[in-house]
Amino acid sequence: MRYVPLALLSACAVTAPVFAAQYLSPEQAQKLMFPEADAFRVQPVALDTAQMRQVEQLAGLPARSAQWRVVGAYKGDALLGYMVLDEVVGKFELISYAVGVNPDASIRQVEILAYRESHGSEIRLPAWRRQFAGKSARGGELKIGAGISNISGATLSCTHVTDGVRRIAAVAQVALAR
Amino acid sequence: MIRRAQPWLGTLVDITVEGAWPGQDAVTAAFGEIARLHRLMSFHDGASDIARINRAAPDELVQVDADTWQVLRLAREVTALSGGAFDVACAPYLVDRQLLPAPLSPATPAAPAARASAEVFALEDGCRVRKLAPGWIDVGGIAKGYAVDAAVARLESAGVPGGCVNAGGDLRVFGAMRAPVVVRSPASPGRAARHLVLCGEAMATSGSYFSEREHRAHRVSALLDARDGRPLVATASASVRAARCAVADALTKVVLATGDCGHPALALFGATAFLI
Repeated sequence: MRYVPLALLSACAVTAPVFAAQYLSPEQAQKLMFPEADAFRVQPVALDTAQMRQVEQLAGLPARSAQWRVVGAYKGDALLGYMVLDEVVGKFELISYAVGVNPDASIRQVEILAYRESHGSEIRLPAWRRQFAGKSARGGELKIGAGISNISGATLSCTHVTDGVRRIAAVAQVALAR
Repeated sequence: MIRRAQPWLGTLVDITVEGAWPGQDAVTAAFGEIARLHRLMSFHDGASDIARINRAAPDELVQVDADTWQVLRLAREVTALSGGAFDVACAPYLVDRQLLPAPLSPATPAAPAARASAEVFALEDGCRVRKLAPGWIDVGGIAKGYAVDAAVARLESAGVPGGCVNAGGDLRVFGAMRAPVVVRSPASPGRAARHLVLCGEAMATSGSYFSEREHRAHRVSALLDARDGRPLVATASASVRAARCAVADALTKVVLATGDCGHPALALFGATAFLI
Protein backbone atom coordinates (compact mmCIF):
# COMPACT_ATOMS: atom_id res chain seq x y z
CA MET A 1 0.00 0.00 0.00
CA ARG A 2 1.65 3.16 -1.15
CA TYR A 3 -0.71 5.77 0.23
CA VAL A 4 -2.09 5.48 3.70
CA PRO A 5 -5.55 6.98 4.08
CA LEU A 6 -5.44 9.89 6.47
CA ALA A 7 -8.39 8.47 8.37
CA LEU A 8 -6.36 5.36 9.19
CA LEU A 9 -3.39 7.38 10.39
CA SER A 10 -5.49 9.52 12.67
CA ALA A 11 -7.29 6.45 13.99
CA CYS A 12 -3.91 5.00 14.95
CA ALA A 13 -3.00 8.24 16.68
CA VAL A 14 -6.11 8.03 18.80
CA THR A 15 -6.21 4.33 19.61
CA ALA A 16 -2.51 3.55 20.00
CA PRO A 17 -1.08 5.55 22.89
CA VAL A 18 2.54 6.33 22.28
CA PHE A 19 5.35 6.80 24.75
CA ALA A 20 7.72 9.43 23.45
CA ALA A 21 10.37 11.86 24.57
CA GLN A 22 12.25 14.63 22.83
CA TYR A 23 15.67 15.14 24.38
CA LEU A 24 17.93 17.36 22.31
CA SER A 25 17.87 19.12 18.97
CA PRO A 26 20.86 18.36 16.70
CA GLU A 27 22.08 21.91 17.43
CA GLN A 28 21.99 21.31 21.19
CA ALA A 29 23.71 17.94 20.79
CA GLN A 30 26.59 19.37 18.74
CA LYS A 31 27.10 22.15 21.28
CA LEU A 32 27.18 19.58 24.11
CA MET A 33 29.64 17.34 22.28
CA PHE A 34 31.95 20.14 21.14
CA PRO A 35 31.52 23.03 23.60
CA GLU A 36 34.75 24.66 22.40
CA ALA A 37 33.68 24.76 18.73
CA ASP A 38 32.96 28.12 17.07
CA ALA A 39 31.65 26.73 13.79
CA PHE A 40 29.67 23.68 12.65
CA ARG A 41 29.62 22.75 8.95
CA VAL A 42 27.27 20.27 7.35
CA GLN A 43 29.43 17.86 5.35
CA PRO A 44 27.46 14.79 4.30
CA VAL A 45 29.31 11.57 3.53
CA ALA A 46 28.49 9.37 0.54
CA LEU A 47 30.12 5.94 0.69
CA ASP A 48 31.09 4.14 -2.53
CA THR A 49 30.61 0.39 -2.94
CA ALA A 50 34.10 -0.51 -1.73
CA GLN A 51 33.68 1.68 1.37
CA MET A 52 30.29 0.09 2.11
CA ARG A 53 31.95 -3.35 2.01
CA GLN A 54 34.65 -2.11 4.39
CA VAL A 55 32.00 -0.79 6.79
CA GLU A 56 30.26 -4.16 6.76
CA GLN A 57 33.51 -5.96 7.51
CA LEU A 58 34.49 -3.62 10.33
CA ALA A 59 31.07 -3.47 11.97
CA GLY A 60 29.92 -7.01 11.25
CA LEU A 61 26.59 -5.48 10.27
CA PRO A 62 24.94 -4.48 6.98
CA ALA A 63 26.15 -0.99 5.98
CA ARG A 64 22.46 -0.09 5.48
CA SER A 65 23.02 3.26 3.84
CA ALA A 66 25.52 5.00 1.57
CA GLN A 67 24.44 8.46 2.66
CA TRP A 68 25.31 9.75 6.12
CA ARG A 69 24.39 13.04 7.75
CA VAL A 70 27.59 14.46 9.20
CA VAL A 71 28.38 17.80 10.81
CA GLY A 72 32.02 18.89 11.24
CA ALA A 73 32.91 20.83 14.41
CA TYR A 74 35.64 23.48 14.10
CA LYS A 75 37.50 25.99 16.21
CA GLY A 76 38.87 28.40 13.68
CA ASP A 77 40.34 26.17 10.97
CA ALA A 78 41.09 23.31 13.36
CA LEU A 79 38.83 20.27 13.08
CA LEU A 80 37.62 19.15 16.53
CA GLY A 81 35.55 16.20 15.33
CA TYR A 82 32.24 15.21 13.79
CA MET A 83 28.69 14.54 14.78
CA VAL A 84 26.88 11.81 12.83
CA LEU A 85 23.05 11.73 12.90
CA ASP A 86 21.07 8.52 12.51
CA GLU A 87 17.79 6.78 13.33
CA VAL A 88 17.14 3.16 14.27
CA VAL A 89 13.89 1.25 14.29
CA GLY A 90 13.40 -1.56 16.78
CA LYS A 91 10.47 -3.88 17.32
CA PHE A 92 8.57 -1.18 19.19
CA GLU A 93 10.74 1.88 19.11
CA LEU A 94 12.05 4.55 16.82
CA ILE A 95 15.15 6.30 18.12
CA SER A 96 16.90 9.31 16.68
CA TYR A 97 20.43 9.75 17.99
CA ALA A 98 23.72 11.54 17.44
CA VAL A 99 27.24 10.16 17.71
CA GLY A 100 30.17 12.46 18.44
CA VAL A 101 33.33 11.25 16.71
CA ASN A 102 36.93 12.40 17.29
CA PRO A 103 39.16 13.24 14.28
CA ASP A 104 40.84 9.81 14.69
CA ALA A 105 37.38 8.16 14.33
CA SER A 106 37.12 7.07 17.97
CA ILE A 107 33.70 7.57 19.58
CA ARG A 108 33.45 10.59 21.82
CA GLN A 109 29.83 10.60 22.98
CA VAL A 110 26.38 9.26 22.14
CA GLU A 111 23.25 11.30 22.79
CA ILE A 112 19.66 10.24 22.16
CA LEU A 113 17.81 13.07 20.37
CA ALA A 114 14.30 11.64 20.36
CA TYR A 115 12.51 8.45 21.31
CA ARG A 116 9.14 7.24 20.24
CA GLU A 117 7.53 3.87 20.62
CA SER A 118 4.59 2.15 19.10
CA HIS A 119 3.10 -1.24 19.70
CA GLY A 120 0.82 -1.27 16.69
CA SER A 121 1.25 -1.78 12.97
CA GLU A 122 2.02 1.88 12.34
CA ILE A 123 5.73 1.38 13.15
CA ARG A 124 6.04 -0.12 9.67
CA LEU A 125 4.35 2.82 7.96
CA PRO A 126 6.84 5.03 6.13
CA ALA A 127 4.94 8.14 7.23
CA TRP A 128 5.37 7.25 10.88
CA ARG A 129 9.06 6.58 10.43
CA ARG A 130 9.61 9.64 8.26
CA GLN A 131 8.47 12.02 10.95
CA PHE A 132 11.86 11.59 12.59
CA ALA A 133 14.20 11.90 9.65
CA GLY A 134 16.44 14.91 10.03
CA LYS A 135 14.08 16.43 12.56
CA SER A 136 15.12 18.86 15.16
CA ALA A 137 13.04 19.69 18.18
CA ARG A 138 11.62 22.72 16.38
CA GLY A 139 7.95 22.69 15.58
CA GLY A 140 7.25 19.08 16.49
CA GLU A 141 4.34 18.23 18.72
CA LEU A 142 6.92 17.12 21.26
CA LYS A 143 8.38 19.70 23.56
CA ILE A 144 11.76 19.00 25.09
CA GLY A 145 11.41 17.52 28.53
CA ALA A 146 8.10 19.07 29.32
CA GLY A 147 5.07 17.13 30.42
CA ILE A 148 6.44 13.68 29.59
CA SER A 149 6.09 11.03 32.25
CA ASN A 150 8.81 8.61 33.15
CA ILE A 151 7.99 5.03 32.29
CA SER A 152 8.52 2.13 34.67
CA GLY A 153 8.32 -1.32 33.17
CA ALA A 154 10.26 -4.27 31.85
CA THR A 155 13.60 -3.23 30.37
CA LEU A 156 13.49 -2.53 26.66
CA SER A 157 16.83 -3.47 25.13
CA CYS A 158 18.85 -0.84 23.28
CA THR A 159 20.52 -3.34 20.94
CA HIS A 160 19.51 -1.35 17.87
CA VAL A 161 21.23 1.79 19.13
CA THR A 162 24.43 -0.04 20.13
CA ASP A 163 24.50 -1.73 16.70
CA GLY A 164 23.92 1.67 15.10
CA VAL A 165 26.81 3.20 17.05
CA ARG A 166 29.07 0.33 15.97
CA ARG A 167 28.09 0.94 12.34
CA ILE A 168 28.82 4.67 12.67
CA ALA A 169 32.21 3.91 14.25
CA ALA A 170 33.00 1.87 11.12
CA VAL A 171 31.72 4.60 8.78
CA ALA A 172 33.90 7.11 10.62
CA GLN A 173 36.95 4.89 10.30
CA VAL A 174 36.38 4.33 6.58
CA ALA A 175 35.32 7.83 5.54
CA LEU A 176 36.31 10.36 8.21
CA ALA A 177 39.50 9.22 9.98
CA ARG A 178 42.60 11.35 9.61
CA MET B 1 14.54 21.55 32.82
CA ILE B 2 17.22 19.42 31.19
CA ARG B 3 16.41 15.98 29.85
CA ARG B 4 18.97 13.74 28.18
CA ALA B 5 19.34 10.03 27.42
CA GLN B 6 22.27 7.77 26.56
CA PRO B 7 22.52 4.04 25.84
CA TRP B 8 24.05 2.25 28.86
CA LEU B 9 23.42 -0.93 30.86
CA GLY B 10 21.76 -2.54 27.85
CA THR B 11 18.97 0.01 27.82
CA LEU B 12 18.38 3.76 27.51
CA VAL B 13 19.21 5.75 30.62
CA ASP B 14 17.16 8.94 30.91
CA ILE B 15 18.17 11.79 33.23
CA THR B 16 15.89 14.73 33.95
CA VAL B 17 17.04 17.58 36.18
CA GLU B 18 15.57 20.87 37.23
CA GLY B 19 17.53 23.91 36.25
CA ALA B 20 18.95 25.29 33.06
CA TRP B 21 21.91 24.77 30.77
CA PRO B 22 24.71 25.07 33.42
CA GLY B 23 23.31 21.86 34.95
CA GLN B 24 24.53 20.02 31.85
CA ASP B 25 27.94 19.46 33.41
CA ALA B 26 26.35 17.63 36.34
CA VAL B 27 24.28 15.50 33.96
CA THR B 28 27.39 14.71 31.90
CA ALA B 29 29.20 13.66 35.10
CA ALA B 30 26.24 11.46 36.11
CA PHE B 31 26.32 9.72 32.72
CA GLY B 32 30.08 9.29 33.20
CA GLU B 33 29.45 7.51 36.49
CA ILE B 34 26.87 5.22 34.85
CA ALA B 35 29.35 4.46 32.05
CA ARG B 36 32.01 3.54 34.61
CA LEU B 37 29.65 1.17 36.44
CA HIS B 38 28.55 -0.31 33.09
CA ARG B 39 32.18 -1.17 32.28
CA LEU B 40 32.77 -2.66 35.75
CA MET B 41 29.70 -4.86 35.82
CA SER B 42 29.02 -5.87 32.22
CA PHE B 43 28.55 -9.61 31.71
CA HIS B 44 29.60 -9.24 28.05
CA ASP B 45 32.78 -7.17 28.43
CA GLY B 46 35.68 -9.54 29.13
CA ALA B 47 37.56 -6.82 31.04
CA SER B 48 34.77 -6.18 33.59
CA ASP B 49 34.97 -7.22 37.24
CA ILE B 50 32.07 -9.61 36.68
CA ALA B 51 33.78 -11.28 33.69
CA ARG B 52 36.98 -11.70 35.71
CA ILE B 53 35.05 -13.35 38.55
CA ASN B 54 33.30 -15.64 36.05
CA ARG B 55 36.60 -16.70 34.47
CA ALA B 56 38.36 -17.26 37.80
CA ALA B 57 39.25 -20.78 38.90
CA PRO B 58 38.09 -22.11 42.29
CA ASP B 59 40.09 -20.61 45.18
CA GLU B 60 41.29 -17.70 43.02
CA LEU B 61 41.07 -14.25 44.64
CA VAL B 62 39.74 -11.46 42.39
CA GLN B 63 40.33 -7.80 43.25
CA VAL B 64 37.27 -5.74 42.28
CA ASP B 65 36.15 -2.12 42.45
CA ALA B 66 34.45 -1.00 45.68
CA ASP B 67 31.18 -0.51 43.76
CA THR B 68 31.21 -4.06 42.36
CA TRP B 69 31.85 -5.34 45.89
CA GLN B 70 28.91 -3.30 47.25
CA VAL B 71 26.58 -4.62 44.53
CA LEU B 72 27.59 -8.20 45.33
CA ARG B 73 27.14 -7.59 49.06
CA LEU B 74 23.62 -6.21 48.59
CA ALA B 75 22.83 -9.06 46.18
CA ARG B 76 23.89 -11.61 48.80
CA GLU B 77 21.72 -9.88 51.40
CA VAL B 78 18.65 -10.04 49.14
CA THR B 79 19.43 -13.68 48.28
CA ALA B 80 19.55 -14.58 51.98
CA LEU B 81 16.35 -12.69 52.81
CA SER B 82 14.45 -14.16 49.85
CA GLY B 83 15.40 -17.78 50.46
CA GLY B 84 17.32 -17.76 47.19
CA ALA B 85 14.49 -16.51 44.93
CA PHE B 86 16.88 -13.75 43.81
CA ASP B 87 20.46 -14.87 43.14
CA VAL B 88 23.10 -13.34 40.88
CA ALA B 89 24.64 -16.82 40.42
CA CYS B 90 21.70 -17.77 38.16
CA ALA B 91 23.66 -16.90 34.99
CA PRO B 92 24.16 -20.55 33.85
CA TYR B 93 20.38 -20.76 33.33
CA LEU B 94 20.42 -17.57 31.23
CA VAL B 95 23.40 -18.80 29.17
CA ASP B 96 21.65 -22.14 28.61
CA ARG B 97 18.57 -20.24 27.35
CA GLN B 98 20.78 -18.16 25.04
CA LEU B 99 19.87 -14.95 26.86
CA LEU B 100 23.56 -14.39 27.69
CA PRO B 101 26.73 -15.50 25.83
CA ALA B 102 28.80 -18.26 27.48
CA PRO B 103 31.90 -16.83 29.25
CA LEU B 104 34.02 -19.94 28.73
CA SER B 105 37.56 -19.92 30.14
CA PRO B 106 40.32 -22.37 31.07
CA ALA B 107 38.79 -22.49 34.58
CA THR B 108 35.32 -23.23 33.20
CA PRO B 109 35.85 -24.89 29.78
CA ALA B 110 32.29 -26.26 29.98
CA ALA B 111 29.19 -24.54 31.30
CA PRO B 112 29.06 -24.90 35.10
CA ALA B 113 25.93 -26.06 36.88
CA ALA B 114 23.86 -23.33 38.49
CA ARG B 115 24.72 -23.16 42.19
CA ALA B 116 23.64 -20.79 44.94
CA SER B 117 25.96 -17.79 45.12
CA ALA B 118 27.13 -18.76 48.64
CA GLU B 119 28.69 -21.81 46.98
CA VAL B 120 30.15 -19.86 44.06
CA PHE B 121 31.90 -16.92 45.73
CA ALA B 122 32.75 -15.38 49.10
CA LEU B 123 33.22 -11.68 49.80
CA GLU B 124 36.45 -10.85 51.60
CA ASP B 125 37.74 -7.60 53.06
CA GLY B 126 39.66 -5.19 50.85
CA CYS B 127 37.19 -5.45 47.93
CA ARG B 128 38.21 -9.00 47.14
CA VAL B 129 36.03 -11.82 45.87
CA ARG B 130 37.10 -15.42 46.40
CA LYS B 131 35.82 -17.89 43.85
CA LEU B 132 34.73 -21.06 45.63
CA ALA B 133 33.39 -23.26 42.83
CA PRO B 134 32.85 -23.01 39.06
CA GLY B 135 29.92 -20.69 38.41
CA TRP B 136 28.81 -17.61 36.53
CA ILE B 137 27.25 -14.51 38.02
CA ASP B 138 25.22 -11.80 36.30
CA VAL B 139 24.28 -8.62 38.16
CA GLY B 140 21.75 -7.57 35.50
CA GLY B 141 18.97 -7.83 38.10
CA ILE B 142 20.45 -5.27 40.48
CA ALA B 143 23.17 -3.19 38.79
CA LYS B 144 20.78 -0.91 36.88
CA GLY B 145 19.24 0.14 40.17
CA TYR B 146 22.67 0.58 41.74
CA ALA B 147 23.79 2.76 38.80
CA VAL B 148 20.65 4.90 39.20
CA ASP B 149 21.51 5.48 42.89
CA ALA B 150 25.11 6.35 41.99
CA ALA B 151 23.97 8.84 39.34
CA VAL B 152 21.56 10.44 41.81
CA ALA B 153 24.39 10.77 44.37
CA ARG B 154 26.54 12.46 41.73
CA LEU B 155 23.77 14.92 40.79
CA GLU B 156 23.01 15.73 44.42
CA SER B 157 26.65 16.36 45.26
CA ALA B 158 26.85 18.74 42.27
CA GLY B 159 24.06 20.78 43.85
CA VAL B 160 21.29 19.86 41.39
CA PRO B 161 18.04 20.83 43.18
CA GLY B 162 16.00 17.87 41.95
CA GLY B 163 15.48 15.37 39.20
CA CYS B 164 14.88 11.81 38.07
CA VAL B 165 17.19 9.09 36.76
CA ASN B 166 15.51 6.26 34.86
CA ALA B 167 17.46 3.23 33.61
CA GLY B 168 14.96 1.43 31.41
CA GLY B 169 12.19 1.41 33.99
CA ASP B 170 14.26 1.37 37.19
CA LEU B 171 14.08 4.93 38.40
CA ARG B 172 14.65 7.26 41.33
CA VAL B 173 13.30 10.74 41.95
CA PHE B 174 15.33 13.05 44.17
CA GLY B 175 15.31 16.54 45.66
CA ALA B 176 12.39 18.83 45.09
CA MET B 177 11.09 17.10 41.97
CA ARG B 178 7.68 15.48 41.92
CA ALA B 179 7.81 13.18 38.92
CA PRO B 180 4.79 11.65 37.20
CA VAL B 181 5.50 7.98 36.49
CA VAL B 182 3.57 5.65 34.24
CA VAL B 183 3.69 1.88 34.86
CA ARG B 184 3.31 -0.11 31.65
CA SER B 185 0.50 -2.59 31.30
CA PRO B 186 2.18 -6.01 31.02
CA ALA B 187 -0.64 -7.23 28.79
CA SER B 188 -0.31 -4.25 26.49
CA PRO B 189 3.08 -2.55 27.10
CA GLY B 190 2.21 0.48 24.97
CA ARG B 191 -0.46 1.43 27.46
CA ALA B 192 -0.34 2.85 30.95
CA ALA B 193 -1.68 0.54 33.65
CA ARG B 194 -1.07 2.95 36.51
CA HIS B 195 -0.15 6.59 37.04
CA LEU B 196 1.84 7.61 40.12
CA VAL B 197 3.67 10.67 41.35
CA LEU B 198 7.01 9.95 43.01
CA CYS B 199 8.96 12.27 45.25
CA GLY B 200 12.17 11.32 47.06
CA GLU B 201 11.96 7.60 46.36
CA ALA B 202 12.83 4.88 43.88
CA MET B 203 10.69 2.47 41.92
CA ALA B 204 11.54 -0.50 39.74
CA THR B 205 9.36 -2.79 37.67
CA SER B 206 10.10 -6.25 36.28
CA GLY B 207 8.07 -8.12 33.74
CA SER B 208 8.84 -10.65 31.04
CA TYR B 209 6.90 -9.00 28.19
CA PHE B 210 9.94 -7.61 26.34
CA SER B 211 12.33 -10.55 26.85
CA GLU B 212 10.04 -13.56 26.36
CA ARG B 213 10.94 -15.99 23.62
CA GLU B 214 10.66 -19.60 22.57
CA HIS B 215 13.59 -21.85 23.54
CA ARG B 216 13.53 -25.62 22.93
CA ALA B 217 9.74 -25.54 22.71
CA HIS B 218 9.43 -23.71 26.05
CA ARG B 219 8.66 -20.08 26.84
CA VAL B 220 11.64 -18.40 28.55
CA SER B 221 12.51 -14.83 29.53
CA ALA B 222 15.34 -12.89 31.14
CA LEU B 223 13.58 -13.44 34.49
CA LEU B 224 13.66 -16.60 36.56
CA ASP B 225 13.13 -18.01 40.03
CA ALA B 226 16.73 -18.67 41.13
CA ARG B 227 15.64 -21.39 43.58
CA ASP B 228 14.98 -23.83 40.72
CA GLY B 229 15.67 -21.88 37.51
CA ARG B 230 12.00 -21.82 36.56
CA PRO B 231 11.51 -19.12 33.89
CA LEU B 232 9.10 -16.36 34.87
CA VAL B 233 6.81 -15.87 31.92
CA ALA B 234 3.61 -14.85 33.68
CA THR B 235 1.65 -11.97 32.26
CA ALA B 236 2.10 -10.03 35.51
CA SER B 237 4.67 -7.39 36.30
CA ALA B 238 6.02 -6.58 39.76
CA SER B 239 6.77 -3.03 40.90
CA VAL B 240 8.62 -2.15 44.08
CA ARG B 241 8.96 1.25 45.75
CA ALA B 242 11.92 1.77 48.08
CA ALA B 243 14.37 4.47 49.17
CA ARG B 244 17.17 3.00 47.06
CA CYS B 245 16.76 1.90 43.45
CA ALA B 246 19.21 -1.03 43.81
CA VAL B 247 16.95 -2.47 46.52
CA ALA B 248 13.78 -1.87 44.46
CA ASP B 249 15.43 -3.46 41.39
CA ALA B 250 16.43 -6.67 43.20
CA LEU B 251 13.17 -7.00 45.13
CA THR B 252 11.02 -6.94 41.97
CA LYS B 253 12.47 -10.39 41.16
CA VAL B 254 11.60 -11.66 44.65
CA VAL B 255 8.02 -10.44 44.30
CA LEU B 256 7.66 -11.84 40.78
CA ALA B 257 9.15 -15.24 41.73
CA THR B 258 7.10 -15.63 44.91
CA GLY B 259 3.97 -13.78 43.78
CA ASP B 260 3.98 -12.30 47.28
CA CYS B 261 3.52 -8.53 47.63
CA GLY B 262 3.78 -9.00 51.40
CA HIS B 263 7.10 -10.86 51.29
CA PRO B 264 9.00 -10.28 54.57
CA ALA B 265 12.09 -9.04 52.68
CA LEU B 266 10.11 -5.96 51.58
CA ALA B 267 9.44 -4.75 55.12
CA LEU B 268 13.08 -5.33 56.13
CA PHE B 269 14.13 -2.85 53.43
CA GLY B 270 11.21 -0.48 54.07
CA ALA B 271 9.83 -1.28 50.61
CA THR B 272 6.32 -1.82 49.25
CA ALA B 273 5.21 -3.72 46.16
CA PHE B 274 2.33 -4.21 43.79
CA LEU B 275 1.61 -6.65 41.00
CA ILE B 276 -0.23 -5.71 37.82
